[in-house]
Amino acid sequence: MDWNWFHRMGSPRWFYLVTSRWMPWFGAATLILLVTGLVWGMGFAPEDARQGNSFRIIYLHVPAAFLALAGYFLMASAGAIGLIWKMKLSYMVMKCAAPIGAALTFVALFTGAVWGKPTWGSYWVWDARVTSMLILFFLYVGVMAVGNAFHSQEAGNKASAVLALVGTVNIPIIYKSVDWWFTLHQPSTIKLTSAPTMHPDMFQPLLVMILGFYCFYALALLLSVRVEILKRERKTAWVREIVGEHLTLKDSGLR
Amino acid sequence: MLTNTNSGFFAYLRRDLLLAYRRKGEAAGPVIFFIMATTLIPLGVSPEAKSLEGISAGIIWVMALLATLLSTDSLFASDFKDGSLEQMLIAPDLLVMPVLGKVVAHWLTTGLPLTIVSPVLGIMLSLPSSALSPLVAGLAVGTASLSLIGALGAALTVSLQKGGLLLTLIVIPLYIPVIIFGSAMAQFGIDGLSWGSPLAVLGTLLAMAVVLCPLAIAAILRLTTINQ
Amino acid sequence: MKFQFENLPDFIAMDGHGFYVWAAVIVAALISAWLIISPLIRLRQMLKDIAQEVTIENIHKSEGEGSK
Repeated sequence: MDWNWFHRMGSPRWFYLVTSRWMPWFGAATLILLVTGLVWGMGFAPEDARQGNSFRIIYLHVPAAFLALAGYFLMASAGAIGLIWKMKLSYMVMKCAAPIGAALTFVALFTGAVWGKPTWGSYWVWDARVTSMLILFFLYVGVMAVGNAFHSQEAGNKASAVLALVGTVNIPIIYKSVDWWFTLHQPSTIKLTSAPTMHPDMFQPLLVMILGFYCFYALALLLSVRVEILKRERKTAWVREIVGEHLTLKDSGLR
Repeated sequence: MLTNTNSGFFAYLRRDLLLAYRRKGEAAGPVIFFIMATTLIPLGVSPEAKSLEGISAGIIWVMALLATLLSTDSLFASDFKDGSLEQMLIAPDLLVMPVLGKVVAHWLTTGLPLTIVSPVLGIMLSLPSSALSPLVAGLAVGTASLSLIGALGAALTVSLQKGGLLLTLIVIPLYIPVIIFGSAMAQFGIDGLSWGSPLAVLGTLLAMAVVLCPLAIAAILRLTTINQ
Repeated sequence: MKFQFENLPDFIAMDGHGFYVWAAVIVAALISAWLIISPLIRLRQMLKDIAQEVTIENIHKSEGEGSK
């Protein structure tokens, strides 16, 4: 089978040029989806019978948590590809994905805490999902710290990639352990999601927000990776050409 | 090609035990920390049996975990500095064998002493006597996993100057399943329940760790110490 | 599907939960905005830096070539 397409994808230049065409689309999609979803969820979705209006936080909390977890697997996959095929671009993606994922994990934790106060009386409850989210945050921080600790970029990338993979294997184990531990100490089953079957009127804006967050994640990641590419390939002719173009287009803003 | 697949294991096991024996003071560090830090709890919280009873199992586990972390830092560090790590890497035998040998030696000099001392600390913290056996059994199995997982972190940070703190950061999330099931064993003992199932899970975790960690550690050592 | 609140003050109050809901929205918005703005700032700086490097290189080249 012809794997040329795969290896071509590993060329920073190819990646940069291809994504240049996608950026405006991702930007537009992100904006439209997020604004629509947020307005819909905050203003038009019916309020929850038990939780009242505080449940609206779900429209931020769930998408952030989703992406935080998905982002970790993306980061680990990028690391694995980097290790196996020694693709520098893949390492760049991994490196850029880490702080984005960590930030989203923080958003998930914060929104979760703020949701918890009016709903269950306290900002923090050591339940399985919250605790696992916190541990996910620590895992992200570990990957970032390891990556930055080495003098050699090469070694740092490899170490980060391995740690990300070790973390991936551990995430289900950690989740199961914490889940078990929590049910051990809280025999009363507090359902910490809204009712498992959500009314479509409440669910639809959530879907929009989740899609919006996916686009947002892609946007943030691509923006970050593209800067990283320019940085690494700064001595090449194609980068210099692009820099030249940008400077002559100074007035039309950033692109 | 390979003279004897086990040769690396026993050689390095003996070597590390011998090194630990020669530096007895250093080797005793984790146990001393374990005892002293555990003693802080009644001083910091309350000396009353009623208050200590509930938290004693957890405290002992956390302290054992921290004590293990303290000694994990130096697992590969001194070998890295004097070049013997490189010797390990270029030796014709499987790298997992020396790695496993070193980790077992680490457990024998850290985890095992901690396990042996733990009943004494249990009594000091008013741990109910029904919890003593599960505590010891849990620690015996759990500390082995802690040594294996900690070695992963040690391998990742071996070439770094201030690797210790980073090691702690990396390893603690990975330790969480072990501590959950380990202290649950003791907790079940306190409540009079059968502690077989958490022990089984601990055992499973150990089995997985024994198989996976040495492989990962060998890969990490090769990746991060070449061309430094 | 209708707007769930009578007027703007009600919308902000969210039946007493306003503080929590809007705190969540604001923090999420700030962090998300940062995740987009930060790479854009870095991009601008990177372009400037590279342009500067090119300029310096050209100066060195023309100095080197001297009598060309």
